[in-house]
Formats: sequence, structure tokens, C-alpha cells
Amino acid sequence: MIREMAKDTSNVEVRVKEAYEKAQALQDKLNAVITFVDPEEQLKELPEDGAFRGVPIVLKDNVNTKGIRTTAGSRILSNYVPVYDAEIVTKLKKAGAVCIAKASMDELAMGGTNLTCFTGPAYNPWDTRRMTGGSSGGSAALVASGVVPMAIGSDTGDSVRKPASFCGIVGVKPTYGRISRYGIIQYASSLDHVGYFTRSIEDAAETLKVLSGRDERDMTSSTREVPDYTALLNSDIRGKKIAVIGNVVKNISNPETVKMFQNLMDKLQEKGAIVDVYDFDNDMMRAILPAYFIIANCEATSNDSNLDGIRFGVREDGEDMEAIMTNSRTKGFGPLIRRRFVIGSYGLFEENQERVFRKAQKVRRVVVNAMDDCFKDYDAIVAPASGNIAPFINKEEDQDQLSDQLSDEYLIVENYLAMGNFSGYPSMTVPMGFTEGCPIGVNITTKAWCESEMFNIGLAIEEITGYKDLKAEVK
Amino acid sequence: MEYDVTIGIEIHCQLKTKTKMFSGAPTSFGRKANTCVNEIDLGHPGTLPEVNKEAVRKAVMACTALHLTIDPLVKFDRKNYYYSDLPKGFQITQQFHPIGRNGYVDIETKAGKKQIRINRIHMEEDTAKQFHLTKFSLLDFNRAGTPLIEIVSEPDMHSGAEAEAYVEALRQTLYYIGVSDCKMEEGSMRCDTNVSISPKGSGVLGTKCEIKNINSISHVGKAVDYEIKRQKELLENGEKVIQQTRRFDEKTGTTIAMRSKESNVDYKFFPEPNIFPIRLADEWIADIQAHMPELPEARKARYSKDYGLSAHDIAILISNKEMSEYFEEVMQYTKNAKLACNWLLSEVSAWLNTNEKTITDCDLQPASLAKLVGMIEDGKISNAQAKQVVDEMMHGEDPEEVANKKGLKQVSDTGAIEAMVKEALDENPQAIEDFKNGKNKALGFLMGQVMKKSKGQANGGMVNKLIKEELQKRIGE
Repeated sequence: MIREMAKDTSNVEVRVKEAYEKAQALQDKLNAVITFVDPEEQLKELPEDGAFRGVPIVLKDNVNTKGIRTTAGSRILSNYVPVYDAEIVTKLKKAGAVCIAKASMDELAMGGTNLTCFTGPAYNPWDTRRMTGGSSGGSAALVASGVVPMAIGSDTGDSVRKPASFCGIVGVKPTYGRISRYGIIQYASSLDHVGYFTRSIEDAAETLKVLSGRDERDMTSSTREVPDYTALLNSDIRGKKIAVIGNVVKNISNPETVKMFQNLMDKLQEKGAIVDVYDFDNDMMRAILPAYFIIANCEATSNDSNLDGIRFGVREDGEDMEAIMTNSRTKGFGPLIRRRFVIGSYGLFEENQERVFRKAQKVRRVVVNAMDDCFKDYDAIVAPASGNIAPFINKEEDQDQLSDQLSDEYLIVENYLAMGNFSGYPSMTVPMGFTEGCPIGVNITTKAWCESEMFNIGLAIEEITGYKDLKAEVK
Repeated sequence: MEYDVTIGIEIHCQLKTKTKMFSGAPTSFGRKANTCVNEIDLGHPGTLPEVNKEAVRKAVMACTALHLTIDPLVKFDRKNYYYSDLPKGFQITQQFHPIGRNGYVDIETKAGKKQIRINRIHMEEDTAKQFHLTKFSLLDFNRAGTPLIEIVSEPDMHSGAEAEAYVEALRQTLYYIGVSDCKMEEGSMRCDTNVSISPKGSGVLGTKCEIKNINSISHVGKAVDYEIKRQKELLENGEKVIQQTRRFDEKTGTTIAMRSKESNVDYKFFPEPNIFPIRLADEWIADIQAHMPELPEARKARYSKDYGLSAHDIAILISNKEMSEYFEEVMQYTKNAKLACNWLLSEVSAWLNTNEKTITDCDLQPASLAKLVGMIEDGKISNAQAKQVVDEMMHGEDPEEVANKKGLKQVSDTGAIEAMVKEALDENPQAIEDFKNGKNKALGFLMGQVMKKSKGQANGGMVNKLIKEELQKRIGE
């Protein structure tokens, strides 16, 4: 879609404005936007050509845009106007993309519900009583409802791949270092990835080509050459070895999901793939969430120490500098964030660090080693991206009781996607089916730098399901 | 009661690089506030650090000059604390893997030579500058992110003199190899000195106090000596030394308590996730080490060997790198090291002081100074006459031309002087009589008469010699 759109120079203005207006029209129902961006100026400065020329896009609101408010979904940054563009913004501009909105997200990208944004929850376009998932929920909703063909998100635990599952679209998180993080408001540096949503594998490949590449300002970005992902697309998966995570599948209580998934695996086998059930150590799988939670919160409490109201952001009064900082932080963050900062600090204290933070790092290493073992024999690790369709949005307190948080279903099924962040390996969710009128996705993870392999398996799945360019009709 | 004094010193030294430690913003001193900053220095959301290779290179040079073992795997860590001069809410430093470990520097005091061990050198970034006014505070972020090395000594010093010699030795070394300006008064070199005392031979360390804000080398010794005296008095009065951070007060020459030492701050150090460990290539390090500028110690030895200067002269010359380098330029045009050195350290230095200039920003030509040295050496001009040429020469003029213009010429023609001597003796028979009677004053009187006749241009040495000869002749007759 993106390719055709970029080539079609006849009605650029019309389609961009249509997208802009559609986003506004849907705002009441989806609440997916924090700040609308008038495309007028950008349309005047479009490049001659480019892979995204005149294609309307949406950016998650933790992507810095020079001169355009960027809040990261937090009250403390609700007046923050960046003085520089994120590297990917520069790249997208050069490719001709037109940003029409800064999308809703969980506060500071910490969350999986998109209920904690200072502007309120985002609603799922397939069923507005349900959540989008998070933290990149606003971006997911705007792609799923057909407003834009591509939206940027970020993925620290599953923040692109989970909402992609709940919203019935493609959600990609490439290899750590593939896309520069410069200018993305950080959550947890060692786990943060720039990701994005599209409605087709081809668009996913096209987008990665534009976003990738070494950036001197992000020392963790890779100097590896960027392949032509689109040209490499090939749905022939004969002989590809796929490991289905047994620990995930067997702990899903919803038989619909399991059936849907088994069906898909059967079809992949029919296409010539070799599909095996692969069981990881169950205790290790149960340790993923706590390890993730510790690493993410420890890094976040440090990363977000710059939010003090002194140089930018919302400043609360105080008698001296220290009081200003304390008051600004106390009033600027939601309760969940404050709790996470306390946990993060606890984990980093000298007396706890070895036992908490460093131990979590060791768990991370064990998980990555286990994945590497699996990849010795397999090309991809596959499992449902979630056990169920998007949950209903209930009152805040119900969220915690959504499921037994010590159950394998919660610990493993709903949180194993962080394996992709531990390892930094490319991981992607594509839609696999519907129940109760709502979509659910399947996740594919491949070896480092094997995005093409991942896209090819995704393409095969897309051909099987026919779920290409799925659009929700928002009611 | 006798006490053992233990002193350890931490020095923060700004590295002389064009840009900051982790950002491309220019480093600066004395520029308009908040003009040398970018989004990284201000800790804006989404920014990431980018390690300054030149800073690493300079840190490697510092480690080499101070004999530290270099860790080729460069890693950075975060030191977390909230303070308004710390934009990110953490400082990027090297807590767990300093770039250098276990070095030393040689110092010399009146008590003799000594080696002071250096525990470690690590790289980090500077903070912003704060100005606290009565009703508000101002922040200047120009300094934020400036590359620093911190040099941590072992507690090997035991007196103010040793502490001062240590800081001076570091200053000289780091300045010589060009890694830092090392200006204590401008803050590009800062010195935190830990002092503790304990009863002699007790073997236990006393409670230490840290002295900050020492802004010149000569204050290091004063601050330490005062602090030793203060702590002694406390103990002698049966009081206790409280662990404190103190500052040196220039006006009173004392140390003043700033705050009691926050011994239990937990900085929550952890590895910086945005900078992967960097492996320094062996060849890169070797190349840096092979091209180290000459160190002060080596230069001292060379001056002694090549120029035969006195230890005292060498010490003064070396302490000013530019002066020392100028001296070497002068030496390309003359062989008289002693005279060239004397002139640089006396007349030239005096002129520079009076005119508030440095050897690098005046117009004195090395060849001119060498020429003047030659003129003095050859007796073409007297020392006193030479002094009358200095001002013009310092403005770039040729000493010979100035001397000619001013008519400054020493008469060394034996015949001419002899004639004047005879004339003077003929005119003053009384003086000859006086001399005969042992009045040496007469000699001086006659000198004056001859010099007057020569209008001050006669070679004093020759006049003296010839008067004596003539007197002997006449008395002997």
C-alpha cells in the first residue's frame, strides 16, 4: 500500500488531509491522539520523491519532533516542545512521510494497557469497550482503523507486538541497533526498540528499509548494511524450521486461541515448513516477567531522572531547587510510574543491586542462551502473541485482577514476548484470526539481523490467513 | 603530642578537547552563559551519549605519563543523584572499570625526592555551574558535559609541602603533555584534599576532612597545613575531629566547614546501557604512547646534560612550559645557555610581568635575544646598557639597531681606554697618593672618572684592569 501511495503523486494533499480529518473524526471514539499535527507545512516541503512521499503517518508521542509538543503520555512533559528531531523523524521526512498526529501511549511507555496516558485511555477500534494494549496503543489504533498505513511505536517488553495482536495489524520490532533510538524518549535503554505498525508485510518491509541504519548519535546502532527488505520478500518457506513454544501454547486457557494457532501451524506445514513443539525450561519462562520488570524499572528510574522540572517540562513551585524537583516529580507522574521508580531505585541500591538488578541481568543472559540453543536447530520461534483478544476496559482496580499474576498463563503467555527484548532479536506480530469480532495475533522471532526471514514467514502467514490490509470499522 | 599526618588527593582535570565528553557541543571557558550547549548537555529526553574519542586519547596520554596500567576495555557507569547542576539526574563516569590503575608521580620537596602512588584515573563528565543569589539561582550549562579525568592518589602524602608538590607535579605533567590547561584559578583543575591525623605510630587512621575550593597551587600547602594545625588543636583540647567537607578561605588562610560529609549517599552505580564496552585497539594505544610529548622530568635531565644549567634555573624554567620552549628556540641561535636563561628569567620575565603579557604573546624574537646575549658576551655592550635595549627588543626590534640608535656601545679598544686612564691619573695625583696609602676607595673614584670621560661606554672590566696596571706602574716608579 505504501509503495503505491508514494508513487501516486496525483492526490497527495487530498489523502493526507483525509487522514488528518479521519483521525480527528475518530478522536471521540478512539482517543488515540495526544496532539494533532497540521500537515499543511509538511506538504509544502515534500521531497521530489521518496519511499513515503506524501504518505500520512503517525508517531508515538515519545518520538521527539522539533517544534511539536512531545509528551510521552506524561503530565510532566505535557508542555514539552523538543528542540530537535529524533533520527527516525529526519529519515521519515527525507522519505516524504507526513506526520498527522502524535499518538497516545502509556505514561513514559511503561505499561501494556494504554490506560495510563495523561489524556486517558485509547480505545480498541474493533470494539471500543476494549483496550488497545500498550504502550503503543494510540499508534496501533490509528493503523487498525485505517487512518494511516504506518505508525511508529516503541517496544521495551512487547509494547508494539502486544497492541498489534489486540488491534489486528502487523507490529514489528527489528534487531536491537537496527533503528537509531536517538530522540526516542527512553524507557529502559537496554530493552528499548523502535518499532512500528503496518497492515501488510510488504509495508513492514518497506518501512524498515527507511528507518534502518547507523546513526553516530546512537552508539548502540549498527553499522551493518541495510538490505532491500522489500526486494527480498519471498513466501516460500519450504524447509524452514519453526519452533513453537510449548510452554506458551499449553498454558493458554482459551481453546479458540489454541485451535486458531494449531490451524495456522498445520497450514504452515502444508506450505513445507517444519513445525516442532519446543519446550523451554518452565521455571526460566516464569522468571522472564520478574527479570524484565526489574531491569526495566531500574533503568527507567535512572533514565527518567532528567524529568525534574528544572530545564523543561511542567515545573511546580518550591522553596529551593530541591523542593522544585521533588514537587515537580511528585505531581508530574501518575501513581503507577512513581511506584515503578521506587521499585527501580530499590533494585539499584548498593545493598540490593547484586541480589536484584544484577541477578535479573543473569536471568536475562540465561534466557538469551536458551534462545540461542533453540536457534541452533530452528529458524524461527513462534507462538500466539497473547492468550486472548483485547480485554475490556474496566475500572483500574480490575486490571490487576485480570488474571492470577502468579499463574503460568499470566507469567508466560502474557509476558514471554520480552524474550525479544532480552535478546534484541527481531520479533513481529501478525494477525492470525478473530474471536468475538476481535483479532488476535501470532508472534514470530528470528535470529539477530534475520528480519528478512521473519518477513518471509510473516508473508506466508499473511497468504494463509488473507489478513492483509485489515481495517476496523469503528462503531 | 606527635601525630602522623595522612593526605590523599583527588584531582578533577578538564581535558582540552574541542567538544564535550558525550556531545558535539563546543567546550568553553568564559563564554556567554548557556551558549555552548545542545540537547544532550541539557539532558533533554531522548538524547544519547556519544563518546568523544579525543577525550579517550587524552586520558590514555595522562595514564601513560603517570605510569598507570591502561584498561583497553573502556566501560562507563552511571552515578545517580538528583541535583540541579546535573542535567540528566546522573553523571556518566567510570566507577567499575577506570581507564587506568596503579601509577605514580615523582615529587621533590626540601625533605628530598619521593614517589606518590596514584590509585586510578577515570573519565567522566563535568556538571553545570550554579550561582546562588538571595532570591533565586542561576544555572550555566556551558560546563555541563566537559570531559574530565579524575586522578585519585593513594594516601601517601604527609605534609602541606608534599601535597603541594604532588599537585604541582601533576599540573606540570598534564600541562606538558597537552591534555589540560590545568588552571586551578579557572577551575580546569580542581583539587579535593583529604587530611587526617592520628597519634604517632598508632597505625590507625584518624577521621578525615575533605578540603574543597582550593584555587591555586600555593594554597594547597597552606590549606593542608592549616587543617593539620586545626585538627591537632582539636585533639589536644580533648575534642573530636568531625568528618566534614570544608573549603579553603583565601582571605583568612583557614578552612571553613561547608557540610558534614554525607557518608551514606547511595549513588546506585550501574553500567551505562547506552554505551557498549569499547575495545581500544592495541595499536591505537601503542601509537599514542609512541608519540608522547616530552615530560618535565625528561626535559630537566636534558637541560642539565645539554646546557649545564643549575638545578635551580632548570626548575624555574621548566615550571613554565612556554618559557622553556622559548628558551630552546633562543638556544638555536646561541651557545651561551647560562646567559640566555638568566635574561629570560630576569629581564624578560620582569618585562612580561610589568606589561601583563606572556612569552607567547609578545614580539620578542628568539634570534634577537640570542643576538643580545652574543653582544654582551663579546663585550660589545655592557649589562647595564643591554637593559636599556629590552623594551624595544620586546616590541620586536633588533637589539643591535636599538643600541646603535641609542649610541650604546662599549669601548673595548685598549688604546683608547689606556689614554683615558692615563689622563684621569694625571689629573688626580691625590687619588694615586690615597691608593698608595691603602685607600681602595680611590680605585672607585678613578673608575668613575674614566667612565665619565668615555660617556659610560667603556668596558668596565677593562677599565678596572687598566687602572690597576697603571697605578702599579706609577707607584712602582
